[in-house]
Amino acid sequence: MRSIPGMPIVFTMLLATAAAAPAATLVAKVVGKDGKAIQNVVVVVVPEAGIPNRAGPPPIELVDQVDKEFTPYVKPIRVGSLVAFPNKDNVQHHVYSFSPAKAFELPLYKGTPAQPLLFDKPGVVRLGCNIHDWMIGYIYVSETPWFGKTDQAGLARIDKLPVGRNHVRVWHPWMIGPEEATVRIVDLAEAQPVALQWQIALEPEFGSRRAPMPGDAGYR
Amino acid sequence: MRPDAVIEPLSTSTVSVRIASIALLGSLLLWRSVATCADWGLDATTGLTRNDNLTNAFESRDLKADTAVTATVAGGVHQQLSTSTGLGVNLVAEGTQYSRYEGLDNLGAGARAQLRTKFGLGPEAPWAAFTARALHRDYRDDLRDGWDYNAGISVGKQLSDRWSVRGSLGYDAFVADRASARGVPGLSTAAYDIDGWTLGAQAAFRLTEADLLSGALSWRDGSVTAVTHPDLEVLEYSDAAVIDGTFSDSNRMIAYRTAAATRTASLTWSHALGRSTSVNLNYTYRSSRTDHGSGTYVSNIVSVVLGYSY
Repeated sequence: MRSIPGMPIVFTMLLATAAAAPAATLVAKVVGKDGKAIQNVVVVVVPEAGIPNRAGPPPIELVDQVDKEFTPYVKPIRVGSLVAFPNKDNVQHHVYSFSPAKAFELPLYKGTPAQPLLFDKPGVVRLGCNIHDWMIGYIYVSETPWFGKTDQAGLARIDKLPVGRNHVRVWHPWMIGPEEATVRIVDLAEAQPVALQWQIALEPEFGSRRAPMPGDAGYR
Repeated sequence: MRPDAVIEPLSTSTVSVRIASIALLGSLLLWRSVATCADWGLDATTGLTRNDNLTNAFESRDLKADTAVTATVAGGVHQQLSTSTGLGVNLVAEGTQYSRYEGLDNLGAGARAQLRTKFGLGPEAPWAAFTARALHRDYRDDLRDGWDYNAGISVGKQLSDRWSVRGSLGYDAFVADRASARGVPGLSTAAYDIDGWTLGAQAAFRLTEADLLSGALSWRDGSVTAVTHPDLEVLEYSDAAVIDGTFSDSNRMIAYRTAAATRTASLTWSHALGRSTSVNLNYTYRSSRTDHGSGTYVSNIVSVVLGYSY
């Protein structure tokens, strides 16, 4: 485990809290090249001992549409989960994805589609709306049940991890370079929380801009 | 009905009012039926614009430059008719106030409609739109009052995350409400009635997440109104002329209409200030060459506009 110079107070407090947990805990921090915290980074933990099969029915996860945006912007789920796409706007949306992990289309709808969709392949699913081209969202389909997502402080805490050797990696929609290049191998022990920090480079995602350009009536 | 009642024929204006009322009521009912899932929106802009050749003059003595404050508001509804096609209808209001040439100050009110279709899924799917707009402009110089019509088709495609292109073909016409009684003998007085066809192309490039740079070229074939000091040579190749009340000061000036080919090149930098607001800096070079080869009008127009969309 690497020591982190200048560890923020919040980060230290998270580690202290984690010390009481019965299983292993990982606290990940992700910053950019400028040292600023990065939000919406998915942190995935893969134990070398293997991944247990899911017990019980798959949970139903939610990706909302609010104010013509996907909420949350990044949604990590475990493979085999169902996802519902409630439209909480007063307008119709037309949600789709071309991603190999889950290509689908939910033509014009309001409210919540009758059936949630099954995400049965690990990978990244990029979401779009065919009416509002600026709407972009991501579902990260993880092969393991141990994952987290960084908050505004760039921190993600993952509890109840299996003790032993684990491979930990991070992913962000704008990350430069492959996800595999971020893998760290770490030995996790009970009551011995581990802190890891990544510094990753991002490139902005362009897509369609929502802000108006006078003279361009846009979609309406 | 009382036996002594007299049925009088409706006047033309009464019939027009009734037809308009029925059409309005029908439109409201239609929109009410779809409004439960319609997308209501408001777009507004305000800014400053500087034009160094308001008169469309080609002689330096006739050049008149001025700066204006501009504002526009468009509010309406967008309704998706199918998975690929949407219809937008907006009421539009515009205002322009010049610092010097008050005769050009005007308020406009009207409506705009757009039917837009996408050929496929995703932001990179090509699209086509038909747009029509009618705006009545009320100038301080009453002779300029009239209807401003635009209609056209445009097609576009986002080529990549950063590049997008579009092309357009449109027709515009300005029809003044009334003609002046003070004209030039032998010529029409409808000098402000102009129309033309415009072919345009535009490319836009995303510089950053927030910044968009776009360049546009257009070619217009039609009539233009220009203002000059009395000049017999000019009147030879115009088909309408009238004493102009806006630019006439100590010297009387004449507004005349002539056929011209207009080329326009513009560059716009647009910076997003958030999801709904942007600041936009535009430079436009406009050159109109008269069909008779008698002259070329060149204008340089600079504007800065704050745009808002809800």
